[in-house]
Amino acid sequence: MTPVGQGEFWRSPATTDAARDPEDWVVALSMDGPDHHHALRRLHGLLLRAARHQVSRMGTLLYDAGPDLADELTHQAADEAMVALLAKLHTFQGRSRFTTWAYKFGILQAATEVRSHAWRSRQVVLDDSHYTVDLGPSVEEYAESADLARAVRRAIDQTLTPHQRRIMLALLVDAVPIDVLAERLGTNRNALYKTLHDARVRVRADLTAAGYLRAATANGNEP
Amino acid sequence: MTEQPPRAVTRKVLHNLTKNTQPWLSCDDCFALLDEYFDRRLSDPGFVDVAMATHLDACPACAEEAASLQALLEADG
Repeated sequence: MTPVGQGEFWRSPATTDAARDPEDWVVALSMDGPDHHHALRRLHGLLLRAARHQVSRMGTLLYDAGPDLADELTHQAADEAMVALLAKLHTFQGRSRFTTWAYKFGILQAATEVRSHAWRSRQVVLDDSHYTVDLGPSVEEYAESADLARAVRRAIDQTLTPHQRRIMLALLVDAVPIDVLAERLGTNRNALYKTLHDARVRVRADLTAAGYLRAATANGNEP
Repeated sequence: MTEQPPRAVTRKVLHNLTKNTQPWLSCDDCFALLDEYFDRRLSDPGFVDVAMATHLDACPACAEEAASLQALLEADG
């Protein structure tokens, strides 16, 4: 039998009471001893379940891959989620079930792995000026729509910084996933979402001032 | 060298670009609150968190992960 490395012993088959969850996950995961090893195995099982669920949901993005790749991404995501979760174990405050808290780590990691793989050979264009505004009007709406298109173009060109335009065009027009874009730019999801949020605020303010958008309307309002 | 067709801000993109993303919630905040949000919604389907709902409407990556967590919890019963 091949010895299991110290850092990955949770992958070895459980020998006792394999179906029982720890009464207190945080304590079991924090202390040394048999309960600790058992808790790590159970936790890895939860993360594998979450990662497998996520990889399966995003299976269409892996259309060119076989089941081996899906399995590899699943296990890789579960392992990396395990490390991320254990690093944040001290932040678990019991406001949700531990299993729910654990699942989200597996899901996030698996989703990130799948998106990254799906875009691995695709180029991400970062350009702030080459775009058109094509609102596709019907004949009767043509004049109004052309007017709006000019206003949108002006709002994007004059109120956004080049960086905001590049990020907005990559995320909304090219539909680059936010974590893929973050990876390519060496930044993080938070920073890109904040950039997009600021761009939205500026464009909304401009179109509102120009009378194309109602002020303080509910989310999802269309001009 | 083949020239790429120009990228277009369509009506769908404009709808997305003009979403009102207030109240503000970052992706990290969304991740931090996600487990509590869905556990509360499972026990109280009427529970509403406006900032979370706003973020999930405007961030496709967080929305996909949230929908996945919800489906997994529902599958667990």
